[in-house]
Amino acid sequence: MTTEPVEEQFTNQIGDHDDIWSIVDNALLGIGVNRETGFMDVIVSIETDEIVQASRALRDDEDANFDYLRSLTAVDNMGDGMEVVYHLYSTTKKHNVTVKVFLSNESLRLPTVTDVWPAANWLEREVAEMFGIKFSGHPDPRNLLMPEEIDDTFPLRKDHPLAEIEVLQGEGMGYSGEEL
Amino acid sequence: MEERGFTMAITPADPAAVPTESPVIAPEIIPVLPALPTEHPSEAPLLIPAQYVPGKALYKQILPGIIQAPLDLLLGASRKSSLWPMTFGLACCAIEMIATYMAHYDLDRFGIVPWPSPRQSDVMIVAGTVTKKMAPSVKLLYEQMPGPKWVISMGACATNGGPYTRYDRVLQGVDKIVPVDVYVPGCPPRPEALIDSFIALQELIMEERKVQGK
Amino acid sequence: MVEVLSQTSDQSAEFETQDLLLNVGPQHPSTHGVFRMVMTVDGEVVRDVIPYIGYLHRGAEKLCETMDFRQGIGFMDRTEYLAAFNAELSYVMAVEALADLEVPERAQWIRMILCELNRLSSHFMFLGAFGVDTGVFGTPFIYAWREREALIDLFEEVSGDRMMYAYFRPGGIAWDVPVNFVDRVREVLISATQGIDDFDSLLSENEIFLARTQGIGSISAERAIALGMSGPSLRASGVDMDIRRDEPYLKYDQVEWDVITGEHGDVFDRYYCRVMEMRESIKIINQCLEHLAPGPILPEKMPRMLRTPPGEVYLRTEAPRGEYGVYMVSRGGNRPYRCKVRSSCLSNLQALHELTVGEYMADAIVILGSIDIVLSEVDR
Repeated sequence: MTTEPVEEQFTNQIGDHDDIWSIVDNALLGIGVNRETGFMDVIVSIETDEIVQASRALRDDEDANFDYLRSLTAVDNMGDGMEVVYHLYSTTKKHNVTVKVFLSNESLRLPTVTDVWPAANWLEREVAEMFGIKFSGHPDPRNLLMPEEIDDTFPLRKDHPLAEIEVLQGEGMGYSGEEL
Repeated sequence: MEERGFTMAITPADPAAVPTESPVIAPEIIPVLPALPTEHPSEAPLLIPAQYVPGKALYKQILPGIIQAPLDLLLGASRKSSLWPMTFGLACCAIEMIATYMAHYDLDRFGIVPWPSPRQSDVMIVAGTVTKKMAPSVKLLYEQMPGPKWVISMGACATNGGPYTRYDRVLQGVDKIVPVDVYVPGCPPRPEALIDSFIALQELIMEERKVQGK
Repeated sequence: MVEVLSQTSDQSAEFETQDLLLNVGPQHPSTHGVFRMVMTVDGEVVRDVIPYIGYLHRGAEKLCETMDFRQGIGFMDRTEYLAAFNAELSYVMAVEALADLEVPERAQWIRMILCELNRLSSHFMFLGAFGVDTGVFGTPFIYAWREREALIDLFEEVSGDRMMYAYFRPGGIAWDVPVNFVDRVREVLISATQGIDDFDSLLSENEIFLARTQGIGSISAERAIALGMSGPSLRASGVDMDIRRDEPYLKYDQVEWDVITGEHGDVFDRYYCRVMEMRESIKIINQCLEHLAPGPILPEKMPRMLRTPPGEVYLRTEAPRGEYGVYMVSRGGNRPYRCKVRSSCLSNLQALHELTVGEYMADAIVILGSIDIVLSEVDR
């Protein structure tokens, strides 16, 4: 995973991983487990009920100062549950970290981080409607992209099927098209 | 002339030979009607009785600016020459639609003026993907348009869902909710393709001109 | 629909007014696409605005999971159709990061030139549409499209399509540029410079335009950062953040240009930041043209079926509207397991409520235009 020429292209985006580890460690003061290094960012895994406290610590700590929530998304791991992924950035210190929360399929709930970063408002609404994850304490938990009435289909889950093509080209014109 | 810096293209050989007033040609009068009475003698040359040529309608000789044609031809010609599309760009095809309205591929020369309100437009160009969330609005806008009205389905997404057809929030073709007259393939169709679709729509209007309204 | 939300107005106690709920969209001549907002209006002043999006939610993320890495490039084009090269760039660079592909120099310089030219064409579209929003109907729009046609002709010569290029590939670019590429780019830059000067002289000092745009819809730097805004909308509030300079990709660390920041964060600053950014883009392109040298455009050992080892990457680039990021998770194989598009317009649009409340109804359209959204990126 660490071929020389590829890293050169991205050196400025990676930053120094050891520095970021120590900064994040100091900020989190023991919260969080399972640190690993992804290709570009340091990845920290945090438990479900500690996420708000950890977010506040990451934002308010002077060395860490992660004040910019870049992206909030989720990944459906099918049988293994789901993970919610936060990408954070510091506008003053210019470093990045990725925070993950692992959820099991039985309890798809975690507290909202909208009080810490208001940017999470719409991002959590989208994750909630696409994956069925409930964010407790969210100020406005309506559907964002889906119609408001629908609350039982979650399109981005892996078991949600693709639509069948309803009209085959050339149907009824004497051409027996193949099933696509 | 030379002091002004330009010369005449044709110089007359003899200035005296240039006629200063146009010659007066007296019309040949075949008196059919008696000479019309006038109040002022100077009007007399103006009141020339009409020359009646048998086989040709009299009104065409008196008032030569009149056209006589079947009514459906005139209505069809006027409808096709002044199609006002409702600006209904949904997605990427809207950009190519706007490019067709603009100066490079001008649609105004066909009489096509984009009009925002559905109440005064003739054509609805469905440009882009229709999602199931947007479908009721499309149907409502179609019903708000007064007849005669036509629909052009622009792009692959409006035809049958396009590249997004396998996603269940996408309506697989706008012809599931409104009747479509012209389909334009492409993703997005070039402006020339959209102009071609308008010409096809004009031919369609002339072919179907005997059908009363829609 | 009229709802009684305030019984008395500020002015006099015996004069009761009712607030009006006004529905704007989804089909409206001045919303940039299918966007709906419900404004609660007291007289002419907006008290509350609720945006409704999702009318163009087409499932690009889900469909990318079923597609090859190369087939997914077409979806990224259609996600941000005005800046398709920048959208393709994020996706393609994410695949290269996962698959350890080294991009040759020539391909990187060509990518940079095309991305900056695309920034120019996208900002021209913004200038035209923004002029229409402020009421200068006709002239800026047609000027914008005159300039865009020149740029689109160049893109068509290079990639074959006017709008959905599908030209970048993981590892480089699909085929080499035409022989006269450098001369064509210089021609296009001459006309683009003239176009920017036209717009500047038409709008930036126009008294009516200034009255319509200055002092309206301002947002402070802290609030903009907290809401996750990016791009020129963020830089207009004074925040000095540009991914091309802070986390350089391609060859942005070898060219010199200035990052434009504004002062007040109002509508005029957002507009003028984009105008100045266009001039900086022209500087970048001129420097890139000097560095362009013959060479390969794809790595030598290019696999026929591109497979990536398991891993994940979040790759962000500076698109014309802000930070366009692609978070790609791969579980091995030849298709992404999860391809999330971090949309710049979605995050910028969250600020609409703060920007619009307290302003006049007519200014709401101007503010929406100044955020410069592309609905297919908001909804994906």
